[in-house]
Amino acid sequence: MAAFETQVESTISRWHGIKPPNDPAKRLAAELADTIAAFEALRGTLAFEEEPAGFELALQATKEKAPYTKASM
Amino acid sequence: MPKLAETLLVEATDAVAGGKTTSLALLQACWANLDALNPLVNAVIWEERAQAEAAARAADEKVAKGERLGLLHGVPMAHKDMYYQAGRLSTCGSALRKDYRPTVTATVIKRMEQAGAYVFAGLNMAEFAQNPTGHNKTYGDCHNPWNLPYITGGSSSGSGASVAARFNFMALGSDTGGSIRLPASACGVTGIKPTQTRVSRYGVMPLSFSHDNVGPLARTARDCARVLTVIAGHDPLDPTSSHELVPDYEQFLDGDLRDTRIGVPTNFFLDGADDPVVSGMEAALKVLEARGASIMRLELPLMDAVAAYGGIISRAEAAPIHAEWMRQDPQAYGAHISGRMYPGYALPASYYIEALSRRGPILRGFAKDVFSQVDVLVTPTIKTCLPTLEETNIDHGPPGTETRFMAVSANTRPFNYLGLPAVSVPCGFDPNGCPIGLQIAGRPFGEGRVLKVADAYQRDTRYHWQRPPILEKMGAEA
Repeated sequence: MAAFETQVESTISRWHGIKPPNDPAKRLAAELADTIAAFEALRGTLAFEEEPAGFELALQATKEKAPYTKASM
Repeated sequence: MPKLAETLLVEATDAVAGGKTTSLALLQACWANLDALNPLVNAVIWEERAQAEAAARAADEKVAKGERLGLLHGVPMAHKDMYYQAGRLSTCGSALRKDYRPTVTATVIKRMEQAGAYVFAGLNMAEFAQNPTGHNKTYGDCHNPWNLPYITGGSSSGSGASVAARFNFMALGSDTGGSIRLPASACGVTGIKPTQTRVSRYGVMPLSFSHDNVGPLARTARDCARVLTVIAGHDPLDPTSSHELVPDYEQFLDGDLRDTRIGVPTNFFLDGADDPVVSGMEAALKVLEARGASIMRLELPLMDAVAAYGGIISRAEAAPIHAEWMRQDPQAYGAHISGRMYPGYALPASYYIEALSRRGPILRGFAKDVFSQVDVLVTPTIKTCLPTLEETNIDHGPPGTETRFMAVSANTRPFNYLGLPAVSVPCGFDPNGCPIGLQIAGRPFGEGRVLKVADAYQRDTRYHWQRPPILEKMGAEA
């Protein structure tokens, strides 16, 4: 077993007391390496959002505003 | 109306209100098709016929007395089996909840009951709403009415299959990564995932608090508009639900797309897409263009970030919900869920917080670049021809099956992270006779806009009227 997979299984077992339930679980856990790579690629590209309700504010800020039928104009 | 189960939701409720049929007749039509087809498609996993018949008779009495009627009066419905009704079974598709009877009732169920609808059955679903295919280890896989060996899409598998097989006028689904739109696409029906926070989630089984959405699957955009008008809006029992006012969504369905700008992404959504799916989308664009819409091809920004951040939130949020069962009884889960959930326990909290904290800025950046140029985005709902249940069976498939499995929801997941409304409408068939879906996404709280485009498309096409051939073979009522 690769070192990364062993490390992931060990971490999950230590922190949660959960063992890999089947082979797909082991294979998908190994894919966490791709997740790390994706996060690495994004480093430095976006700032941390300091506003605690930033997403909800963004929904309001970007929402559909204009009437979109003649009937509602 | 000799074929009642073929009737659209809006027509059915109007017919009951107008005295042209009865609620009991609608229910009996659903039962007739259910009896003929459910042994094959396995969409319904429990029924309460006596209770439903009593509700139908009560609805008919209200009509006879001339009482004020709601927007869904007299329509029998069955929903994904994760909408709690106090004292009634709610399996959540799992052996772990095979006898679970909650003590609360979901706000959306209450709102539909207040509008005159009633529940007659519980629908099959992916275990705890966690797969995009329709596999279920405990209650049996749900089969596509159009071609039985093929997936229905999930996780609202029974919702899509029951509406397609004409034994349900409308079903609630839930959508955390595509679970309304995928079965809508695969089963040839219409389904909308509303804006994040648009519909209350009180009394609904949670999967991922940040990405979960409640919405309808029905035959048409108009049917979905009717239901959304009833269920949307703030709920004090769900403080995360939006205070945004709820319009009558049917008012926007005027068929006029002359002021509508449609964007077609040139990146991400067509990567690896199968030709029949792309052809279906291109043909649909011509229909929309003929209705007056303008078409623009554009590259979407920030898709790497959307994919990376969106990919971990659901896993991180689902993991603690299931931790106790994963420790004590992991084999009670199918590999479809336990295998996917397991890596969630290794995700660092800092990754999760990073993904959440960037959601707002990413939505702002995406909206600034995209919605300054177009009003809606159009993509295939599922970018490949439908796979079979066998091809996506993680429980005993070879290594690599997981990749095929996860690819099903590649085009739907981004709109959960972005929180945008998106509807899927049927737009053709693949070489195996399975439906192809067209996804239409819009700005936050732009449900009226995306339903307007979907409805305009359905005015000029017949895919939503086509019936699975199995209906004729099995001698179904409709």
